[in-house]
Amino acid sequence: MFNIVVYSLLSLVALCVLYPLVYVVSASFSDPQYIMGGEIWLWPKGMTVDSYASIFKNDAIVRGFLNTLLYTAAGTGLNLVMTILAAYPLSRSDFAGRNLFMGVMVFTMFFGGGLIPTYLLIKNLHLLNTFWVMILPGAVSVWNIIIMRTYFQQSIPAEMQEAAVIDGCSNFQTLIRIVLPLSMPIIAVTVLYYAVGHWNAFFNALLYLSDRKQFPLQLILREILIQGQTDEMVRASTESAIKQQRAVEGIKYAVLVVANIPMFLLYPFLQRYCVKVIMVGAIKG
Amino acid sequence: MAMLQQEHVGRKPLKSTARISRFSKILRNWQLYVMISPVLAYYILFHYVPMYGIQIAFKDFRINKGIWDSPWVGLKHFDRFFHSFFFERLIFNTIELGLYLIVIGFPIPILLALLLNEAKAERFKKFVQTITYAPHFLSTVVVVGMMMIFLNPRYGLVNQFIGALGGDTVNFMANPSWFKTLYVLSDVWQTMGWSSIIYLAALGGIDTQLHEAARVDGASRIRRIWHINLPGIRPTIVILLILNLGSVMAIGFEKVLLMQNNLNLASSDIIDTYVYRSGILDANYSFSAAIGLFSAVINFLLLVLVNAVARRAGGTSLW
Amino acid sequence: MIIGKRQAKGALALALTAAMLAACSNNGNGGGSAEAGGSKGEDAGIEASGFPIVKDKIEVSGFAGKFFANVDWSHLKLWQEYEKKTNIHMNWETVQKDGLKEKRNLLLAGGNYPEVFYASSFSRSEVVKYGEQGVFLPLNDLIDKYAPNFKAIMDKYPSIKQGITMPDGNIYSLPVIYDPDFRSVFFNTPWVRTEWLQKLGIQEPQDLDQFKAMLKAFKTGDPNGNGKPDEIAWGGTGTAGLMGYLKGSFGLNNRGAANPYVDEDPANKGKIRFVAAAPEYKKLLEYVHGLYADGLIEKDIASVKAEEIDAKGTAGLLGVVDNVDPVAIYNDNGYVGLPVLKGPDGERMYTYLGAPLGGIAQFVLTDKAKNPEAMIRWMDYFYGDEGIKNFFMGWKDDTYKENADGSVEYVDDMAKNKDGLSLDQAVSRYLIWPGGLYPGYVKEKYFKGAEALPTSVANSKKADPYVLKPDAVWPGFSFTAEEQEVLSTVGTDIQTYVDEMRDKFIVGDAKLGDWDSYVSTLDGMGLKQYIEIYQAALDRNNKN
Repeated sequence: MFNIVVYSLLSLVALCVLYPLVYVVSASFSDPQYIMGGEIWLWPKGMTVDSYASIFKNDAIVRGFLNTLLYTAAGTGLNLVMTILAAYPLSRSDFAGRNLFMGVMVFTMFFGGGLIPTYLLIKNLHLLNTFWVMILPGAVSVWNIIIMRTYFQQSIPAEMQEAAVIDGCSNFQTLIRIVLPLSMPIIAVTVLYYAVGHWNAFFNALLYLSDRKQFPLQLILREILIQGQTDEMVRASTESAIKQQRAVEGIKYAVLVVANIPMFLLYPFLQRYCVKVIMVGAIKG
Repeated sequence: MAMLQQEHVGRKPLKSTARISRFSKILRNWQLYVMISPVLAYYILFHYVPMYGIQIAFKDFRINKGIWDSPWVGLKHFDRFFHSFFFERLIFNTIELGLYLIVIGFPIPILLALLLNEAKAERFKKFVQTITYAPHFLSTVVVVGMMMIFLNPRYGLVNQFIGALGGDTVNFMANPSWFKTLYVLSDVWQTMGWSSIIYLAALGGIDTQLHEAARVDGASRIRRIWHINLPGIRPTIVILLILNLGSVMAIGFEKVLLMQNNLNLASSDIIDTYVYRSGILDANYSFSAAIGLFSAVINFLLLVLVNAVARRAGGTSLW
Repeated sequence: MIIGKRQAKGALALALTAAMLAACSNNGNGGGSAEAGGSKGEDAGIEASGFPIVKDKIEVSGFAGKFFANVDWSHLKLWQEYEKKTNIHMNWETVQKDGLKEKRNLLLAGGNYPEVFYASSFSRSEVVKYGEQGVFLPLNDLIDKYAPNFKAIMDKYPSIKQGITMPDGNIYSLPVIYDPDFRSVFFNTPWVRTEWLQKLGIQEPQDLDQFKAMLKAFKTGDPNGNGKPDEIAWGGTGTAGLMGYLKGSFGLNNRGAANPYVDEDPANKGKIRFVAAAPEYKKLLEYVHGLYADGLIEKDIASVKAEEIDAKGTAGLLGVVDNVDPVAIYNDNGYVGLPVLKGPDGERMYTYLGAPLGGIAQFVLTDKAKNPEAMIRWMDYFYGDEGIKNFFMGWKDDTYKENADGSVEYVDDMAKNKDGLSLDQAVSRYLIWPGGLYPGYVKEKYFKGAEALPTSVANSKKADPYVLKPDAVWPGFSFTAEEQEVLSTVGTDIQTYVDEMRDKFIVGDAKLGDWDSYVSTLDGMGLKQYIEIYQAALDRNNKN
């Protein structure tokens, strides 16, 4: 009985969410006119791959894709290491000063110098227009540190860590040999959160990169969408510029599909990997 | 870090055993300090060093003078904001929307996670999970676009449905009383799957032996959820609640702007859209910095408050 | 473990250094005053006229916004040819429209801005600010001495000079100008579907009553003959277009729309009137509300998105198109311009047009400019006939051909490109004007965009007798920094309230019977102050 409730609720939720997603995919293959007229319901109308063609015609797309892969891989790797390095000590109740450190970090979630001083800093560190500017300024996030810390506190029994110390493990060894293997779920989640963040990032690139060859995918994709937007300051335009605005309606959806498929598939992949590791961990426990 | 250790050694003489054990605690855990040092260095460099920029909120920023030499104007910008004709409306809308988001939007991912956790059919579970977190990847522009199509008074699905039931068409987007509800519901729809991930991970860390024991004792599934699962992820819930309350004033500006029009302004005008509007005429860094600071202070105070309550109420807190 | 400690110390050291550097560079910003502006005239080997502009080649740094992201300005024919001609090499840093504002502002804030900002769309208040701070160079003398083309334009059309002169009397920027004789770029009346008029047997409306009747016929007469009431009488996004079209019939905005909230009090020449508080405005609202109440305007006009109306337009369902030429957007030439309507008091005017000035700050010289004279000459070329032709059309027999009567058209490679490139794309291989982001002078003769279509030209010609003459249109006013501050608060609030209430009155959410409380709310918001500021700006404008 209970099962029926669970499964039907979940199915309902899935349906509510699924329908608009199908819509997005259908719209990406439809003639923009039908999209704007609200005539798309489930299946594509005026089937066309024009929207995708516009995207792939952009010479910089492949380059952008590769750049983003690089930024995401390197960035997430750094993020993960940094997050673990902060979350573990903070999770230890015998870590003197942990409230202070936590406070110092949380404070930065609310208060910051703003765009100009940050820009000046980046400039003075000679990070402008380099690969590092996509990695370093976002090296770690307080939110993820907190979440990982909570997980450590909650799910890693203190007795286990104490046992390890008695056995002669140093703090580093405890972290690496005991804590991390048991933390696969949170590591998977952390990797996912950071990876998606990197994948979608464009603002830093917009501000700090000027060489188009270094642009991430999102920035390249935006180029085409921006062209379809009218500028308040501009009056005289060409026919094709006006028509471009209409094409953008379809391109918006195609962009979504192109931009997000890789990330979308990341979690199932991570999940499969993590389930295996959890099984191992449970047996050990 | 070296600095911290010296501080403790130099300041107080090592007289009592309590101090000795504290100091030796630090020494013993020196590796922990080393671990956290790169992270702290990062925060100091990229977050605290630029913080001198906060003073921009109290100055009249001049490009050629830079931040340090621009003239002080004290609370002028705040004054200007507080005296805006629409001030009360802005504050009220911002806070109401923020709270509404939390009251409705916070519990739902938890429920979803609990439900998913109960589904034993692996394939089904994975399918639902993947579907529900997909909307997170949709851009705001597209979500609002879709919403407007579905709510269209002429041919939108919703109004057709209403018409079929014999009702009158409703122009949802033009109605101030609908704005917040639409905002929150679409937000829940978009984020519930993604937000449930963290709760699922936490649920995965609950000892299965507890469930075994409870089952042997004859507890029904609902009781098991209530007494084992929920308490098991309580720290996660509390922490996330604290963090969410601490961002009450920081609402998604882009989405509100897209959903806003002259007719629903009474309900949809929030602080950030006001700043945006007034900044169109005049790229005024100082003014927007001031208002940003105001929101940040309120959020921060809220966080501190809620954290203190959480700590008193039972153990889990941010610090 | 030891590595960790070293890293920590290193990071600290780096942080401290960075802090000092950051502080230093900010102080270094102070050198903003015109040290580089050495306007000593004939140095750097500059020629007073003719080409090349300088005897010895110079390099100039410039920042520019552009429309197409993948166009490389350092290898663009327009600039390459011009460099050969002028002996000036431009080092361009370009950015697409996306992020133009942020990038541009950060360059300025960070102190590493170039000598020239081109096509960077600064707002009026930014020009006032940076001019006052000495970051932008005053150009008055430079124009006088080195910009004969532009000077001639200013002499011919005083409103241009007025529009670009800042409250302190200086000109800091060069604008994009739309030739006052190129009428269709300034205004088009809304477009009406002739086929439907014929089918319903009605004439084009000449006054407000006929206009209302026409809309009603569109709505109820099933002009497209398909038995479904799917026609949309007025196809507009938002109410501003309809209001703008009808304002003239009530004598409102009698000085144009460059300053959309104010015009001249007809009873009090030289005095500012706030349009949205005038009794005539109330009458206009009553009329429009009447249209709405009768279902002649769409219920969702205040919230509908442009894409939706567009879709209806493509399907041929719009009776009136409130937009640019339907030929351009829908490839539909079944429309002509609506006549200018006669209002209740006999007024027959079309007033919703702007001044000849577009973006006023598309070319500025910063205090880092080493050769301001040369750069003014460089820019002035594009304000003269030959330069305009070069900028828009390219090179004779290469990208355009000249006909016997003097008219010009693009060669087929541009206009009917065999690889399927649109006009914009084909042109952008060599020129930069698509997208509209540039300083310059837009002449009907050389502009091949939508506004130059024969249908557009016909529309504006038809309305012309009733349209405000160019010298009757006020240019957008410029304000001092103090005035600007008040306008950013009081002004924004007032304008927000006016726009909000306009839609509410039209839709009926607010009752026109409560007009008096609406006006007193405006007074309470500081309307008097707002009017005073505009009055000051007008007085300054008239002096120039």
